[in-house]
Amino acid sequence: MNRRWIHIALAALATTIAQAQTVTDSLFVADQPLRPAMSMFMASVGHASILDSYLSPIRYKGLNLELDYEHMQNTGFDPQRWARQLTLGVEYDNVDNRVGDNTMHALMVDAQWGMMRRWQVAHNKLQVLCGPMTQARGGIIYDAANSNNVVSAKVRWSIGAMAMAQWNTRLARRPIALRYQASLPVVGVFFSPDYDESFYEIYLGNRSNLVHMGWWGNRFDFTQLLTADWHLGGTILRLGYRGRFETSWVNHLSTKIFTHSLVIGIGGEFLSVKRK
Amino acid sequence: MKPRRHIYTLLVVLATLAMAGCHHEEEWNNDAVGNFEALWQIMDQHYSFFAYKNVDWNEVHSRYRARVGNNMTNQELFELCGEMLKELRDGHTNLIASHDVSRYWIWEQYPVNYDERTIDEHYLNFDYKRVSGIKYQILTDNIGYMYYGNFAIGMGDGNLDLILSHLATADGLIIDVRNNGGGYLTNVEKLVSRFIDQRIHAGAITHKNGPGHNDFAQPFDYYFEPTKNHIHYLKPVVVLTNRSSFSATNNFVAIMKSLPNVTIVGDTTGGGCGLPFTSELPNGWRIRFSSCPITSPDGQLTEFGVEPDVKVDMTDEDLARGHDTILDRAIELLISTKT
Repeated sequence: MNRRWIHIALAALATTIAQAQTVTDSLFVADQPLRPAMSMFMASVGHASILDSYLSPIRYKGLNLELDYEHMQNTGFDPQRWARQLTLGVEYDNVDNRVGDNTMHALMVDAQWGMMRRWQVAHNKLQVLCGPMTQARGGIIYDAANSNNVVSAKVRWSIGAMAMAQWNTRLARRPIALRYQASLPVVGVFFSPDYDESFYEIYLGNRSNLVHMGWWGNRFDFTQLLTADWHLGGTILRLGYRGRFETSWVNHLSTKIFTHSLVIGIGGEFLSVKRK
Repeated sequence: MKPRRHIYTLLVVLATLAMAGCHHEEEWNNDAVGNFEALWQIMDQHYSFFAYKNVDWNEVHSRYRARVGNNMTNQELFELCGEMLKELRDGHTNLIASHDVSRYWIWEQYPVNYDERTIDEHYLNFDYKRVSGIKYQILTDNIGYMYYGNFAIGMGDGNLDLILSHLATADGLIIDVRNNGGGYLTNVEKLVSRFIDQRIHAGAITHKNGPGHNDFAQPFDYYFEPTKNHIHYLKPVVVLTNRSSFSATNNFVAIMKSLPNVTIVGDTTGGGCGLPFTSELPNGWRIRFSSCPITSPDGQLTEFGVEPDVKVDMTDEDLARGHDTILDRAIELLISTKT
């Protein structure tokens, strides 16, 4: 048992010294697959554009702020070919109408879990990953100037695909990983009130026609993340761009939310071993 | 080759479906014509009483559109839009700008039928309790009186317990909702539930489920339950109304009228049985309009008011000698019930 931990410590030290280890590789110690994991905390600031016809036919634009956590690790069952990723986020939008005399506030939380198959190309410098994912996202858009349609509630759960391409190179003698990631929900379920249905009616007990099967015919969501991860020892600094595109069309209600934001992050890599 | 062809076919189908999600949204210019068209179209697609009020909205458009030009001032456009909205005869329909609010307030055309000072001075002797927006006291002849002037003011269950326990010894209770312009329907439920001892049918609510004038969802019947473990008042009750009893108050009166121990005294209420929604024009003006019709327990739309069981108007002579004609009649009714 002690010998195993010594091996783990040596492997971790070697990883740190080499400064070239990335989450997408795997090590073996005492026949146990070591699974490098990466955790990253991110903060984003950018531009949001919101059109929610339940609240207003006018598009609102303004500030987008987001905090995210990402954890990515090779899977336990086949760590050289498969990796899994969990992301958690909370997002706030502060947007104004065209003439600037009214503000809407949007608060959303989301979680996404996916598992991707990896292909190594170009002498392992380029890795391409692709696989299924599931995503849950919910929150509210609030317009204090409205009456009984003061808030638009958004809740959805979906399954779809995610893909990633990562190019490992060096910058200033330090490893840097350039990564593009995209998530594309395909089907799912989501909440929407009827065209002019009030939340008071829902409170009274009318629950009909609130949950809808989501597919590309009535909603289309897409998230992309382009990042550069610069490895400084065990620490990773991230700089990137996130774009999110959410649109739905159900019950004659239209929602179009676009955000573009600058992402900065800090994280690190660590090793874990599967215990017998 | 075949599997690849299938994949291409699938991608084409999915892309086509995705295109269906790329729906077009109407956009208007921020000028007089654009704002007028936006207002007209928002009302066209969302307003709920065109058929009930027999309003030909297309005809209204042609009549008012001819008077709109981009050389109009904001003030002129506002006046014209407000005039157009008055065609709907709806107190819940307002155009809200930074300088004015357009309105169709029917109560302005009718007797006031309420004078707070007269009640405070001659009936309450300036000696009353007040909590949660409710003024209450036991009058002479052992008749309870409570005045609730705003359904937007919340009331706690504990507050209502204290009010009703104070009034419990009275032989009858007067609930005065004159000049109550409405508020939250949840407060209607909270108050009504103190005057029932069994589940009641409170009415039905519906909503537009599409942009067509007759696109409505199936009405949803809703019910009120008596509040559990709290004080109820089940003796005779009289509710006082005037034309300014509007919106949520109108709904309260319609439900109370259906109760066997309740009599409505005063003037017809101001109406307003459509739950209002709000939208917006390109220039930032807000438009509020009736969106979700609510019917009374007997299935009637009360958009133009609830008629009282006993119609009474205040007289100038009574007022001059410090009497509220409507309140006097309510006291008489409760005393006669007692005997």
